[in-house]
Amino acid sequence: MSNKTITFKILRQDGPNQPSYWETFVIPYLPNSNVISCLMDIQKNPINSEGKKVRPVVWECNCLEEVCGTCTMVINGKTRQSCSALIDKLMQPITLQPLSKFPVVRDLAVDRSRMFEALKRVKAWVPMDGYHDLGPGDKILPDHQGVAYKLSECMTCGCCVEACPQYSRDNNFLGAAAISQARLFNMHPTGKLIANERLDSLMDDGGIAACGNAQNCVEVCPKSIPLTESIAEMGRQSSKRFWKTLFQI
Amino acid sequence: MNSHFFARRVHSLTGIIPVGLFLVYHLYTQLYLHQGAEKYNEHTNAFYESPLAIWLLIIFVYIPLFYHSILGAKLSIEATPQPSYHYFSHLLYWLQRISGIGVLLFIFAHLYNTKVMPLMTDTYGQHFEHLAEGFASAETGWLTKSVYLLGILGATFHFANGINTFCMTWGLALTPRAQLRVRVLSIIVFVLLTAVALYSLSAIW
Ligand code: HEM
Ligand code: SF4
Ligand code: SF4
Ligand code: FES
Repeated sequence: MSNKTITFKILRQDGPNQPSYWETFVIPYLPNSNVISCLMDIQKNPINSEGKKVRPVVWECNCLEEVCGTCTMVINGKTRQSCSALIDKLMQPITLQPLSKFPVVRDLAVDRSRMFEALKRVKAWVPMDGYHDLGPGDKILPDHQGVAYKLSECMTCGCCVEACPQYSRDNNFLGAAAISQARLFNMHPTGKLIANERLDSLMDDGGIAACGNAQNCVEVCPKSIPLTESIAEMGRQSSKRFWKTLFQI
Repeated sequence: MNSHFFARRVHSLTGIIPVGLFLVYHLYTQLYLHQGAEKYNEHTNAFYESPLAIWLLIIFVYIPLFYHSILGAKLSIEATPQPSYHYFSHLLYWLQRISGIGVLLFIFAHLYNTKVMPLMTDTYGQHFEHLAEGFASAETGWLTKSVYLLGILGATFHFANGINTFCMTWGLALTPRAQLRVRVLSIIVFVLLTAVALYSLSAIW
């Protein structure tokens, strides 16, 4: 048994709109652990570095394999999934902070509703008008499928908007994820039917014009979604609609 | 389409079409510095002989530049610093904002130096002499030279990188490979424009 330890500095908050404070935890080292497994250890024995028993640290997780996105937090200053953040690859002390672009619920758990509202704003779905049999869907070619599959991997984790200098708590920018989802559904053969409605949302307040081309989103996306390509593609579609609106509608 | 979207598209267009093209033209005309005072002054003054000159400047340069600067400055202030993300494009993003504000300050200094002061001292028209004297001054020469150097670098960088973001904004370059090609183009534009400007200045350095 080695006496190595792992030190965490966690930015905690007791509830929504409460002040935040740093707390340090030192736990025994276990090989191959990740941030979530360490948080579970802290939960079992919530004693801080001063030896005081404190309220267990709150965080969210679900899939534990980087596909659900709920466990996203700011680890050593960078946004990422805590389930795939391996302790052996992190500098100590490891700092954990909640995502800064969303309201904190408690400790590391945040309310990411704004991202889901953004998906609603761009109508990121295929429109259906009933449950009756609509017959077979349109054929989809493999190269289309290749692009769409990549885009569909988005897990609404929030990394892209966390790192974005144009997305802030006091504006209403949709963010890269929603712009990319608008692209996904605008290329779907049935989703296309309301392509213009999606473009109108993108061309509304807080839409694509709020992007400033910093390209942090594409750098931090854990799913390697080609976000700047999506932004350029939606820029192109909205450019077409822009000229059309000016001269035609 | 709402007004913010429209405003941003106009901002993007004004950066390239009137203001950017004017920058290219303006840097080109500075090559006359190498042909001596007489030629340079003659050429510069000839532009103003046209009764349309002043109106062309106001409509195609001053108004678009004013618009672009106001919105650009507003956008710069509204950005949220994300200091822990060290990516090249992110650096360019901030340099775009810093150079924009720098260029705005430079334009004021430049207008004072080449328009306001000569008009006040009733020596307007002797452009070459004003520039050369300003650069040669024993006390403030170093300052004038530094301001011009920074102003020019800022303007050529801002314009060249602006070509890059212009292609993103309008969706002209879609794939990462196309975006890389545009980036290469913007680097070429930056190097060329800067070289032309520095070569011109070497005549009076
Ligand atoms: C005078 C003060 C200026 C300020 C404060 C300013 C500010 C800005 C800012 C903040 C952007 C980034 C917009 C974005 O991508 O979201 C920008 C873009 C741009 N600026 Fe300027 N700018 C100024 C002057 C100029 C000048 C003199 C030129 C021409 C040489 C110019 C050309 C451009 C271009 C081409 C873009 C790219 C437009 C796009 O993103 O689509 N700007 N400017
Ligand atoms: S685009 Fe990438 S970073 Fe953004 S929410 Fe989706 S998966 Fe996360
Ligand atoms: S390109 Fe930059 S400004 Fe635009 S969404 Fe991505 S990070 Fe934000
Ligand atoms: S728990 Fe699902 S991504 Fe980490």
